[in-house]
Amino acid sequence: MNTVKPPDQSLLESDLAASEFRCGEIEGRWRHITTTWPHVVIAVSAAQRTNAPPEYGFRFECTGYRQSPPTARPWDLTSNTQLAVSSWPTGRSIVPSVFRPQWKDGTCLYLPCDRLAIEGHANWQHEYPARLWNPSRGIVCYLEQLHDLLNSIDYTGAGST
Amino acid sequence: MPQSTIFVQLQGDARVIELAVAEGVTESELHKALSKAGVLIDPELFVFIDEAEEPVSREGNRPTPSVVHGARIHISRCRRIKATVHFLEKTIEGEFPPGTRVRKIKQWATHEFRLDHKDAAEHVLQICSSTKRPASDTPLHTLVEGNECAICFDLVPEKRVEG
Repeated sequence: MNTVKPPDQSLLESDLAASEFRCGEIEGRWRHITTTWPHVVIAVSAAQRTNAPPEYGFRFECTGYRQSPPTARPWDLTSNTQLAVSSWPTGRSIVPSVFRPQWKDGTCLYLPCDRLAIEGHANWQHEYPARLWNPSRGIVCYLEQLHDLLNSIDYTGAGST
Repeated sequence: MPQSTIFVQLQGDARVIELAVAEGVTESELHKALSKAGVLIDPELFVFIDEAEEPVSREGNRPTPSVVHGARIHISRCRRIKATVHFLEKTIEGEFPPGTRVRKIKQWATHEFRLDHKDAAEHVLQICSSTKRPASDTPLHTLVEGNECAICFDLVPEKRVEG
């Protein structure tokens, strides 16, 4: 029996096949690992740092996509579990303000484009307009921010390094 | 013949058009492939490959070795785009090929303004009179409006996410 996919799942699959996402994949900025609806795991490449990985995994929970933003957490691609706190990305100023493993027990990133993080932060609408979720751009909007953070001068490597 | 996937971007448009072309395509064959895909190549338009300084010849039969798998092809009305960057009371101007990424403009600006490593990390380019902060990989010509061959940025502090 054929089952009809919910619109949020269809939209996500469409965006993962779109040129904007594929361009990032072929350029090595990110790569799709798995989709197990409503979760999608994507690895985002990071600048070279001593004893730091070349990429970080993120698991996005995409219920309500694209009208609702996804929420993402760092993900261990080997064990397929939440990434250990000691391995989270860190940096001097901007990067550690986003990657806060103590906030909400590390279940999401402290980014205005994240569904869980934006809750209760109405002030972010005007304080961080460039970091808000943009439904017309979809998941690429979130991935571009992660890629820029992990390839910024501010990024110093993984937490334990 | 093996095919390469290329990504075409038009001036003033954030969208990306995916296209397959034969490996080792010549300049004229590249133009034909673009036309066949519905990307109209007006005689006034230039075709650039990635961050190349010079456009691809329309009629040339030279191979285009930089049209590799994943290459970005930029179709622009501008041979050069004038970038203006404001920082505090200072302003700099420079001219760049259309495919130049925002990352390179920031590197140029922080160097010209003599920002140290820490300050460079804590500043970002924001399009003038807007709140738009394009991603580092954004090609310059996709940000210009209309037929302009110019773009203006403010180099502003990147705030920590707080509150």
